[in-house]
Amino acid sequence: MTDLTDPEGSQPSFAHPTEEAFARILDYYGIEWEYEPRTFVLERDDNGNIAAGFSPDFYLPMQDLYVELTTRRPNLVTSKNRKVRRLQELYPDVNIKLFKRRDIRDLMIKYGLDQHAEPILGTEAQEEP
Amino acid sequence: MTTITISRQLGSQGTQIAREVGTRLGFGVLRREVINEAARRAGAPEVALAAIDYLGLFDLHPSQEACRSYRQAVREVIEGLADEGEVVIVGRAGQVVLAGRPDVLHVRIIAPPDVRIKRIEALQDIPTAAARAQMERSDRTRREYLHCAHDVHWNNPELYDLVLNTERMTVASSADLICRALTECFDDRGDD
Repeated sequence: MTDLTDPEGSQPSFAHPTEEAFARILDYYGIEWEYEPRTFVLERDDNGNIAAGFSPDFYLPMQDLYVELTTRRPNLVTSKNRKVRRLQELYPDVNIKLFKRRDIRDLMIKYGLDQHAEPILGTEAQEEP
Repeated sequence: MTTITISRQLGSQGTQIAREVGTRLGFGVLRREVINEAARRAGAPEVALAAIDYLGLFDLHPSQEACRSYRQAVREVIEGLADEGEVVIVGRAGQVVLAGRPDVLHVRIIAPPDVRIKRIEALQDIPTAAARAQMERSDRTRREYLHCAHDVHWNNPELYDLVLNTERMTVASSADLICRALTECFDDRGDD
């Protein structure tokens, strides 16, 4: 989780706005997270080189849970479902959840988490006043 | 060995009061730890996220079986903590799970809606409407958890030894009252 009390701290470069929105929600709830901290090898070629890998979007250490985000587009869901299933076969001790994200922009605006989310990250705002 | 359960409304300063009480008494203060441990025991780590998500932003819908396993695990975790004692348990229906235990003090922390909205607004620097929406959604989520999981209404004063309205009280004065109630409840036992 990004510590905004640290002047050197900064958000990682998210590959997709959905990931950034998800990170804001995690911060709001005070849930620790790491962004793409690990790549799991799913397949190797005959020479032992990595032929296919999978880097889940987030890892939540307190929940010991990897999270992969996807939109609701069927082809993307199918592809990611396949990767998640393969990862679970190869790494049965790893917990992973595929989040099929709906557009939650309206909800974030409703709860004030849109433009004001940044200043409250890592603060007492998570402390349920 | 004594335990305190604290049920609180968003904007009531309940979490801060729980921390203050824990510091004064030297008790551990457990909130998310109960959720995370229960979800781990239930083998459903995503349920922990659903349990934390009182605004419904994760759009998670765990299966009924996962929820049942989780609630059973919550009960076991809370009972285990109370057996060890010297702990403040925040939320998770501790007042119901540990109801009737003689070594547990049950506290409810509330505040009027307009006060809660102002606190949420100030703390998060968000518009009044957003603060109100957070409060209402949080109330609904917590009320429904108590109702669905335990068939009780969280505002029933009979569930609690002490109900504190923090409208005109500070975190420190609220903690004073809880510590005093704990002393009087447990130090006077056996006097009659």
